[in-house]
Amino acid sequence: MRGGAARAGRGFLLPGLLFLFAIDLVPLLYSAWVSLYNWWLLRPRDVRFVGFGNYAGLAADPEAWRAVVVTSLFTAGAVVVEFLAGLGLALLFAQPFRFLRPIRVLLLLPLFVVPVVGATMWRVIFHPEVGVLNYYLAQLGLGKPAWLSDPTLALVSITMVDAWRTIPFMFLVLYAGLEVLPAELFEAAAVDGASRWQSFRHVTVPLLAYIMLVALLIRGMDAFREFDIIFVLTGGGPGTATQTIQMLNYRVFGLGHMGMANAIGVVTLALVAAMCLVLWRAVLPPRREAAPERP
Amino acid sequence: MSRSGKARGVRVGSWVVVALAALAAAIPVAGPPASAQSKTLTLSMLAGFKEDVLRANLPDFEKKTGIKVVIDASPFGDLYKKQLLSLSTGGRYDLLFLDEPWVPPLSEFLAPLDERVRTLDMSDFVPTTVASGAFQGKQYALPVDPNVQLLVYRKDLFEQKGLKPPATWDELVATARAFHDPTKEQYGIAITGSSDIQTALYLLVSMWSQGAELVDARGRGGVDTPAGRKGAEIFLELLKLAPPNVRSYAFADVNKAIQLGQAAMAIQWASGAKPMEDKTRSSVAGKLGYTLVPKAVRQNPMRGVWTIAIAKNSANQDAAWEFAKWFTSREFGMAAVRYPAATSAIHSPRVSVLQDPGTRQILPYAEALLDSLRVAKERPRLREFADIQEHLRITVAKLTAGELGLEAALKEIDAGTNRILGK
Repeated sequence: MRGGAARAGRGFLLPGLLFLFAIDLVPLLYSAWVSLYNWWLLRPRDVRFVGFGNYAGLAADPEAWRAVVVTSLFTAGAVVVEFLAGLGLALLFAQPFRFLRPIRVLLLLPLFVVPVVGATMWRVIFHPEVGVLNYYLAQLGLGKPAWLSDPTLALVSITMVDAWRTIPFMFLVLYAGLEVLPAELFEAAAVDGASRWQSFRHVTVPLLAYIMLVALLIRGMDAFREFDIIFVLTGGGPGTATQTIQMLNYRVFGLGHMGMANAIGVVTLALVAAMCLVLWRAVLPPRREAAPERP
Repeated sequence: MSRSGKARGVRVGSWVVVALAALAAAIPVAGPPASAQSKTLTLSMLAGFKEDVLRANLPDFEKKTGIKVVIDASPFGDLYKKQLLSLSTGGRYDLLFLDEPWVPPLSEFLAPLDERVRTLDMSDFVPTTVASGAFQGKQYALPVDPNVQLLVYRKDLFEQKGLKPPATWDELVATARAFHDPTKEQYGIAITGSSDIQTALYLLVSMWSQGAELVDARGRGGVDTPAGRKGAEIFLELLKLAPPNVRSYAFADVNKAIQLGQAAMAIQWASGAKPMEDKTRSSVAGKLGYTLVPKAVRQNPMRGVWTIAIAKNSANQDAAWEFAKWFTSREFGMAAVRYPAATSAIHSPRVSVLQDPGTRQILPYAEALLDSLRVAKERPRLREFADIQEHLRITVAKLTAGELGLEAALKEIDAGTNRILGK
């Protein structure tokens, strides 16, 4: 009976698995297969199998390595800023105060702005001559920084814009997590004389760890694959200061080099998977072996 | 079988034959597909001002011919990518508005127009503009909108200082220096120094003038030479005499620097000059002079003609040709140059339009445009040129951002060219 039920359960899973296979795995395998070919759209009759030649080409290309570094810096910077700001806001909004609801709605507004529109707006704000940001900075005697044309500032600028857009997401996820934490544990900690910091460190953080991990994983994967904001704000420049793996992929794909473009896509997937694994290990404590039962 | 049964069988058989005949009539026999008879064309077009000019005049064509044109417009940065992807996968375009460097790479997917062109009177076209649509002896596209770099200068400021427009690159640097006064927010020249493609083209035109070639006669990279170095040094010197934020400048920012009266000179494509003469947008309209870009060992303004081509796999070749003829006609050219200026312009490849007194009044730079077109130099006509130009763009971006020094950049440009050409 139990075996029959298990078989039936697996049968019910089958349509969903087939659907996932069709929309996820098939394109992925096709992409991996294409990455093994030298396929240039301009020469459709000259498609050659090159094995791992495209991957070897990438490994030997300093521009590709630089793109990995830029992507890692951007992802780390953006996720850390967004996580800390989102957590801070979530803790703040977990306390009752007047006008909490309307302020919370206002805080979420950037989430609803189309990324390209938001980035275009920031491009105007950052404009060195007519931008509102430099106008006020100049009024304060702080000069007119070249937000998008200075190689160091450009990376900071795109990180700021990404943070503006996605801090509300972090806030939303962590705030939802905080709202469902059991009040009894905090009361017990207070009875035991725990300070606010001790209560946060030893009660809130462990209980919120899974939520934090989900938020970090989602944002980490998104930031690693960020494209639209960088495309609109800097196009990967100045020089290659903000050329991420996605920008490099866009350039290669735009020139019709399908094999190399797909190889970059597969490498991106591998890097994102590795990043997720590292985050998983870092955030979640290792599982302890079950304690032996007392005789 | 009885007689009545036989009669019934004949009647049933007749109905079957009639039904089969009706079915056969409904199925098209071998021949041109239904779409070949269609009067709707799909055009891949550059989005923005040039698209506006076309849309404003398109009803005339549609009324005259009964052919409907559906425009699929994309911004400059995406247009080549979209066209390449569409053409190489048997896409849907009948017509393509192409920047001239794209003609060689995409020629494989374009219909040769030589026989059709023989039926046209080509004597009115500026000869160099016709060459923009040719590759390896075949004509794949016709010129629609000829563009070329011009030297734009403030006549009023030059008169105040008693200076003449510079004729050589050394004079250009000296003149820019004479006008450069950052304390008064007055700068010598407006060009771009960003990762925009325009920056690479400024460098290239300066190198050309010194005698260097991006791809030399042996088919190898040719800028890591004394001539290339001299051209690059002049370009870098000019960046020092430009507004402080040129490292984020694109095409429109060069216009803005002139329109706001910040720069005494600019090297800009002719299509950018029209908005500079718009009194509602420009504080210096009517105060500008136009001449050829300076020379060194030779005078080589860069040619950049927008052309119209027909996809080889289009089922509407005849209708597409009707559109191509209209789009390159004197009639369209006259209407296009009279369209109110906004951010860019469409000119005409026809001598009669550019020499027309009305045109000369509307476009104060028409004479410089025509003179420049006659001596303009084309970028290398190679199938691999899009790759070479993109490599040039990114290397020049590294140079202007300080990631590469001049010597390393010149070597890198040539190495990339050789790698792409398999040399």
